[in-house]
Amino acid sequence: MSNVSADLIWEVVRSQNAFLVKRKNSGGVQFSRDPLNLTNLHSRKYAGFVNDKAVGVVAGENGAIQVISKKVSAANKPASGVTISTIGASKANRKTYKSIAKQLAKSGYRADLRQAAVARASALRASQRPVKPTPEPKLRGNAAKKAAEKSE
Amino acid sequence: MASRPTVTVLGADGKATGATEVLPKVFSAPIRPDIVKHVHTGMAKNKRQPYSVSEKAGHQTSAESWGTGRAVARIPRVSGGGTHRAGQAAFGNMCRSGRMFAPTKIWRKWHVKVNQGQKRFATASALAASAVAPLLMARGHQVSTVPEVPLVIESSAFAVASKTASAVGLLKAVGAGPDLDKVRASKKLRAGKGKLRGRRHRQRRGPLVVYSATTDGKDLVQGFRNIPGVETSPVDALNLLQLAPGGHLGRFVIWTSAAIKELDSVYESKKGFFLPSNVVANADLTRLINSSEIQSVLRAPKGEAKTKRGHVQKKNPLRNTQVLLRLNPYAATFKKEKLGEIKAEGKPTRVPADFLGQLKE
Repeated sequence: MSNVSADLIWEVVRSQNAFLVKRKNSGGVQFSRDPLNLTNLHSRKYAGFVNDKAVGVVAGENGAIQVISKKVSAANKPASGVTISTIGASKANRKTYKSIAKQLAKSGYRADLRQAAVARASALRASQRPVKPTPEPKLRGNAAKKAAEKSE
Repeated sequence: MASRPTVTVLGADGKATGATEVLPKVFSAPIRPDIVKHVHTGMAKNKRQPYSVSEKAGHQTSAESWGTGRAVARIPRVSGGGTHRAGQAAFGNMCRSGRMFAPTKIWRKWHVKVNQGQKRFATASALAASAVAPLLMARGHQVSTVPEVPLVIESSAFAVASKTASAVGLLKAVGAGPDLDKVRASKKLRAGKGKLRGRRHRQRRGPLVVYSATTDGKDLVQGFRNIPGVETSPVDALNLLQLAPGGHLGRFVIWTSAAIKELDSVYESKKGFFLPSNVVANADLTRLINSSEIQSVLRAPKGEAKTKRGHVQKKNPLRNTQVLLRLNPYAATFKKEKLGEIKAEGKPTRVPADFLGQLKE
């Protein structure tokens, strides 16, 4: 509607909203719990629920990555107002980033969010990687090897 | 605005019935959190009951000061002897069993008169905000499953809502289920003395069901009243305290189709009140800035376009192939054709003797 714009909504919600996390430490940091926020920072640029066009990158099932984006035409239809594209776990990392960059920047959706989206996808991929077990320490020196043989 | 916006009417199953309603004019009222906040603070005070401490508290003793010269403070002290109380300080707010500082009185100014025009403005503003999905999310409503905001449901679907079970079923079918779950999970024991004063628990607010008392009847009130967090309100008696709880805009409102149809006439019947209009016709800053009217009067940017690079780490071209290629495009061919691995043909020719002589000169 003409009486509402993202700029107005931001002015209404910037001091308090359900997603905002205010902490007194670190100079009063302000974070956001919004799923459509790529950096989790409370800021105009990344406030996904405020902006007409916004992108969220979240972990899907079985190591997949979901890219959520808002439809401009369905701003007042929350249930059908988002597009979710899933990038499977088997897709190579570089190709994942490329497809995200393509979706955001090349298509002219939100080019300014490209870096943040790719960074988030990268962080998700890093967290989904299985943790390598730490290798057993090698025995160093002949004396140690002989001692180990003796004890067997 | 060329065409007035419409809203689809949903059936009992949450699917669109195909019918639409023209959105009432109130929904284009300006969204003014400052006015809503101010009016809410006043209105929220009007349900208070006076309280105070006893008039006599802390003064039920005949204490007198001992004056100076007895090496004790000059505070009034309880007279007499024979008990521990004698000689103890009294009356002062710093004393044990003294009266409090500025004892509360029942004639405190408990209630605040808020001008009717302001109340109507604030209500209109809160209604307009209830049609903005981001504001509902900012208030904390779980509306991601709701098909449309404002949510309008066919009046006939509320016929069964006189029983709580079917009322809950209706709310879940139209996508309000997550909001109900949120309310149910949010019930907490109140901190402090309020527990003893009839305010034992605190919980979130859920959807507000607005109905038309004349068309829908009042049976649905009984169906909804025991669902945690859900409130009902007749469309001709909308209350700011329900539309903007805590003074925060964006209550999740569920309308019956009869109620939304009646809303325009409700506002027309308010004598001497005209719906507030917006100061700016277009609130979208980006569109204003990029409009041809603004852009045509701006001077051209000075200088040339350049990409600003932040701090960049220097890469070693001998290790990083991409950097190597940028410096030496020939490196690709060199590598592909394995030019570095080609053996020199034939035997190397001897260095001429005079060269060595020249070298060691």
